Amino acid sequence: MISNIIPGLIMILTSFLLPTIPQYFRHPAMLLSVGLSALSLFNGYGTFLEWDILGLNLILYQSDSLTFPFSIIFHIAAVLVIIFSWHSKNLMEHMATLAYAGSAIGALHAGDFFSLFIWWEATALTSVFIVFAGNTKAARDAAMRYLIIQVSSGVLLLIGACLLLYQTGNHNLTVLDLTTDFGIFMFIAFGIKAAFPFLNGWLQDSYPESSVTGTVALSAFTTKLAIYALARTFPGTDSLIWIGAIMTAFPVFFAVIENDLRRVLSFSLNNQLGFMVVGIGIGTELSLNGTVAHAFVHIIYKALLFMSMGAVLYRAGTTKASELGGLYKYMPFTTIFCIIGAMSISAFPLFSGFVAKSLIMSSLGGMGMVLIYFVLFFASAGVLEHSGIKIPYFAFFAHERKSKVKEAPINMLIAMGIAAVLCIGIGVFPKYLYQILPYTVEYQPYTIDHVISQLQLLVFAIIAFLFLVKFKLYPSEIRSTVLNSDWFYRKMLPGIGKPLFKKIGLLTELIYENLRFFFRLILNKSQKFSNSSYIKVTTPSFAATILISILFIMLLIVLI
Amino acid sequence: MKKNDLKSMGKSFTKYILIIGALLILLDFTFHRHEYFSFAEIYGFPAFFGFISFVFIVLLGKWLRKFLMRKEDYYDQ
Repeated sequence: MISNIIPGLIMILTSFLLPTIPQYFRHPAMLLSVGLSALSLFNGYGTFLEWDILGLNLILYQSDSLTFPFSIIFHIAAVLVIIFSWHSKNLMEHMATLAYAGSAIGALHAGDFFSLFIWWEATALTSVFIVFAGNTKAARDAAMRYLIIQVSSGVLLLIGACLLLYQTGNHNLTVLDLTTDFGIFMFIAFGIKAAFPFLNGWLQDSYPESSVTGTVALSAFTTKLAIYALARTFPGTDSLIWIGAIMTAFPVFFAVIENDLRRVLSFSLNNQLGFMVVGIGIGTELSLNGTVAHAFVHIIYKALLFMSMGAVLYRAGTTKASELGGLYKYMPFTTIFCIIGAMSISAFPLFSGFVAKSLIMSSLGGMGMVLIYFVLFFASAGVLEHSGIKIPYFAFFAHERKSKVKEAPINMLIAMGIAAVLCIGIGVFPKYLYQILPYTVEYQPYTIDHVISQLQLLVFAIIAFLFLVKFKLYPSEIRSTVLNSDWFYRKMLPGIGKPLFKKIGLLTELIYENLRFFFRLILNKSQKFSNSSYIKVTTPSFAATILISILFIMLLIVLI
Repeated sequence: MKKNDLKSMGKSFTKYILIIGALLILLDFTFHRHEYFSFAEIYGFPAFFGFISFVFIVLLGKWLRKFLMRKEDYYDQ
């Protein structure tokens, strides 16, 4: 019975029932629904549910070696988010979060592009309420922009799916390429959600505006769903290697100067997606394993970092680096968990980032791609800069704090604790992660060459940081806005559009004025004419005179 | 708690990091580090690359502030 239910669907149904459940039992019910959905992980691989509708065969539930690891980590992320938000009584946000996680899990198991489209839009429509939950004007505005962009991605996906069906008669998930028009539509649709360069503005715009707990949920699903979709449909597409490399390098510079630490993490998320996209672009078994492994560990440590910043926001009321510092005294556990997340994302040996990133680096090295290899190596130093050092340093150290704050609530500490244990556990015992990857590849991350090379890079990057701080070369934190690609539609387009529409408005007003003048002229003349004594006998009314005048003008126009 | 906790923590952290850094460089002389690209096998190459990359990122980021930084209420205006 349970084997035929789409994974995640039970979470969505539970989210609808949440208002009827007393507050005290809501979180246990949410956890239970995730647990029931996770039973699907024991079903094995295959196609479990199809639906014939409108002459189409929709594959609603299928699973294979690529969906499996993503499904595991999406369930884990859902559990972490639920525990982290245990203290919150925001019903709307709980409903949205559970339905969002359920939709993302449902999307993983779609076997055709139309089913994928339905879930794709479902994740957009549910997650927008999580952005709304930030409950500030900035959050509401960002939510509207977020919705427009997310739905646009869905529309492009639908166009692609229709073209695919029309041209090939097939609509199942298959490997595509960029020589076809439907391929290009899908590529852009996935690219928007995967935050490709210049399509990334929505991510840094909306995620930091959400609530304390909302950002954690947002960070896990949408972008990784896009990575899954790209890995499924565009493995080995060369352009992805370059796109990914740009994604790893560019956000690094933005993260250096950004003041809001949750926005810094959003830039960092973008950079991490770059590593995964490069792995898809290479398209070998090793690199695709690297992408999946990276997505898996990334969801955990990124959630951990967002949770630590969520805890800081909850207790200190802000995540602006210029207002923080010295929290290590008051939030020691949060500090330790944040540092574990920071060391994981920076890929220190014995932490989860190391065992995943090594797979992608090795596949690049093995193929002799020297330039991309060093762009990613350079980006690794960048990751250390913004996520490894900047986040913990400015939040918890930097300078002494004057006012006291409390340690994070116990539920937050438990969620962060679980994530931290997973980060170290995977780093120390990588074989359990490697076992669930799509391809069987023998790989040993802990060789002396790897470990020493990575440690040298990281330790000397830290020394560089100390050197820059010592000589006061490190940029101080300033309350500011950093321009990003959302500038194009938030400033540039309105900047051009508003005056343009104003001009068009003036022009139409001018035309309208002239027409009115012309009409008045006819009106007056007709009135005079109909009132004159000699015409009254033959002309029945004033209205008829106007009509005749207009007909006469039309006749004139036609003749001219 | 002492008032200059952070300063003393920073000092001891710097000390240990420098010691670890020195050890890592010395370790490089004790064995041949295999890399995918031969020029990366030069002694201390990753250390040098990490240091330079970090400084480059920070200084270029700082310079980019001239073009990318606006007031906090920039989008509200």
